[in-house]
Amino acid sequence: MRSVRNAVWATCTIVLLATSAGAQTGDPSASHNDLPDQPRVLLVTHATLWTSGPQGVLEDADMLVRAGRIVRIGRGLRVPDGAVVIDATGRHVTPGMIDAHNHSMISGGVNEGTHNTTSEVRIQDVINPESINIYRQLAGGLTAVNLLHGSANSIDGQSAVIKLRWGQPAQALLLDGARPGIKFALGENPKQSNWDVDERRYPQTRPGVEQSIRERFQAAVDYRRAWKEHQGGADRVPPRRDLQLEALVEILEGRRDIHSHSYRADEILMLMEIAEDFGFRVKCFQHVLEGYKVADELAAHGATASTFSDWWAYKFEVIDAIPYNGAIMWDRGVVVSFNSDSSELARRLNLEAAKAVRYGGVPEDEALKFVTINPAIQIGAQDRVGSLEAGKDADFAVWSGHPLSNYSIVEQTWVDGRKYFDREKDLAYREVVAAERAELLEKSRGASEEEDDDDENGDDEVAEEPEADPTAGNARRHP
Amino acid sequence: MKRSLGATALLLPLLASVAGADSIALVGATLHPISSEPIENGILILEGDRIVALGKDIDIPPNATVVDVAGKHIYPSLVHPGAPLGLTEISSVRGTRDTHEIGDINANIRAEVAFNADSMLLPVALSGGVLISHVVPQGGVLTGTSAIMRLDGWNWRDMTVASSVGMHLRYPSFRSSRRRSQEQVDKEKKRALEVINKTFDDARAYAKAKEAAGKGGATFDTDSNFEALIPVLDGRLALHIHAREKAQIESALDWAAEQELDNIVLVTGPDAQYVATRLAEEEVPVILDGVLEVPSRDWEPYDAAYTAAARLHEAGVKFCIGDGGDASNARNLPFHASMAAAFGLPKDEAIKSVTLYAAEILGVADDYGSLEAGKEATFIVTSGDPLEILSRVERAWMAGRELDLNDRQKELFEKYNSRPREPEITPRG
Repeated sequence: MRSVRNAVWATCTIVLLATSAGAQTGDPSASHNDLPDQPRVLLVTHATLWTSGPQGVLEDADMLVRAGRIVRIGRGLRVPDGAVVIDATGRHVTPGMIDAHNHSMISGGVNEGTHNTTSEVRIQDVINPESINIYRQLAGGLTAVNLLHGSANSIDGQSAVIKLRWGQPAQALLLDGARPGIKFALGENPKQSNWDVDERRYPQTRPGVEQSIRERFQAAVDYRRAWKEHQGGADRVPPRRDLQLEALVEILEGRRDIHSHSYRADEILMLMEIAEDFGFRVKCFQHVLEGYKVADELAAHGATASTFSDWWAYKFEVIDAIPYNGAIMWDRGVVVSFNSDSSELARRLNLEAAKAVRYGGVPEDEALKFVTINPAIQIGAQDRVGSLEAGKDADFAVWSGHPLSNYSIVEQTWVDGRKYFDREKDLAYREVVAAERAELLEKSRGASEEEDDDDENGDDEVAEEPEADPTAGNARRHP
Repeated sequence: MKRSLGATALLLPLLASVAGADSIALVGATLHPISSEPIENGILILEGDRIVALGKDIDIPPNATVVDVAGKHIYPSLVHPGAPLGLTEISSVRGTRDTHEIGDINANIRAEVAFNADSMLLPVALSGGVLISHVVPQGGVLTGTSAIMRLDGWNWRDMTVASSVGMHLRYPSFRSSRRRSQEQVDKEKKRALEVINKTFDDARAYAKAKEAAGKGGATFDTDSNFEALIPVLDGRLALHIHAREKAQIESALDWAAEQELDNIVLVTGPDAQYVATRLAEEEVPVILDGVLEVPSRDWEPYDAAYTAAARLHEAGVKFCIGDGGDASNARNLPFHASMAAAFGLPKDEAIKSVTLYAAEILGVADDYGSLEAGKEATFIVTSGDPLEILSRVERAWMAGRELDLNDRQKELFEKYNSRPREPEITPRG
């Protein structure tokens, strides 16, 4: 740990990463519901800063934060009076990572799969702020996620972009700078190829998927015309309000972005063609595992791509998925992210980014962008998050080493200039949790003798999903 | 429960011919024998399918073909301790799955006979440094016998390194969930235990009848399931008990003790750390099948699955690391081990957990798991530490023969990476 000059002692609080579980972390028994402090002035010093911005990777660099916003990045910054200082000597600091495809904090099912168009359904109504996944993903350096509806339907529900402000209520999680989004889906899922459903519904083929989407957009055009006619006085009877079509009108008018589950090159071209015919753009293809086959077309359309690093062969439509997908699309000018679509993978997206280096040789700082600024662009929040730049939210992770190394771990995760995860504090808090658990178990033993109190059983969380429930599990099992 | 590892695997004769006495010398790499300290700027000498010598300043035979691998690293092949490779292709397409036979008692099932030598998944695993894998059948309660397979070869026979490596028992789950009530779980558990106990009782009776018949007693009808269980009963064949939850593991260990089964391997998950002391005391080898897992209970620390390996190591448990049985991404096996290392497992133990320890637990350490004179020449040449994603597997040798590390994914990459750029594409509207 770097020695600290006397002058610094006089003016600021020092947070020693490796040794201090106390000073800044506070009482380990404090509830996680308490909003973490937001230092008026925060200075991260002597870090290797992976900015994911124009400044690139800076060694022995400092980052100044005021009231939750980054104000300056450079070397040898003066320590302002009263600053909280994080001495990050030997540490790497990256932007908080962003997951452009996540379902981890959604209550109940993620698929309203009864109709083929469910654009009226809103994920923001069912965010589960108490999901432990929020904390676990914070602990992996993630700070924002795109919570998407499942892929059961050609036109699925509206998505919600949140920050991982652990302990805060659902509405306080929303990232208000993000663009409104909606999930679409193509291929095997909307055509129900892998489901044992009792009632089959249209569509059952890819050409049917195309018509099912085109027809709805045509209906949205007609709906918008009917309203205009009514408002212009041509028709005195107002049209019946249709929440499904209103969401599609928002897309037509560029006020809501499509994030479309997709795999094959044909269906990717197909959806871009529909969009172009109706005068808008597909913002982001999700999964897009054959995106590398139509990378130039994606770039020309202006679509971005949020893909898996290396998943393949779980369905026939991903037989041609390759781990070089990200590299080829990146090389041809597509804004590429790697997403998790998994509560497990979301805890280590930095290692997914490393696969863009392994497969296809994307430079390391560009690879890191696959999980920082690029997904920020995809969710339309690039002015707020995704890079370490003056004016942006102070969302960042402090790493024990190189962020693309398998041996590095996250030591701290900050959101809005507030420290929501601190490994030292976490380790200290475990004893408190264990003691509380023991006490509660003791009480429950006293309360009911006949109750099975084997504490390893009967938890509500499931270790392994039992035999497939093809409908409910579809989004997770067969993305 | 002392046992000798490796006594049960049937080592098959290698079909690949030994091509004369021509030797190959790989020169200049850092050798990582795993069983001993690394050797910088070392020399590795192969003859036929064997490693014959390795060291720093050893003589290169005059007739040897010298391969310059300066600046590279040589490690033994990763040993995958349990993937359904060769038995599955596209997991959602039923016709391509041969992993799960129907029925409870499938002791007679043999994994290797359905191993698809031309599975497109195999070259992808090779590219990731996984040259050999334990292949395990999965259907039923007693699911059959597993095999160690080479992931390159002409057909399953010449790819089988060892058949009948273990008999596999899926111990019933104890855990309720939102989809399975405690009543359902208890009912299924009771039924499965009755089936298991009856099967083992019947198998013992069968073995007695067979022995009696051999001594001139009454004749009896052959039963292939009971035949398959006889080597388990007399301890020649390891029983791999699959049990992931703490209570399930404890019950399984009790059950094995009651059955007086000594030769067991526990195939398990992060909960094994809660039973670590007992596993060490009873000397039960463990396949920790997956480190990259979400803790299964809300109250567990966020890193509960990451630290499980370190806890097993500290307790003195003999273990290797698996990946939960992901066929298409068996190549990611080493990254389970490195996550364990990031969370407390010493790095040298981490690499052993996907090489030497796996070979030892599966009974093939005479040939695999380390670079040693006399072992099969099955190894990888890398740009660095194979537990790091940023390293690459650049070349590989299997039984003394260099492998073509091309695969379907690389072909598709080459094809589309060389597609002429299309600057003239104009969106329609």
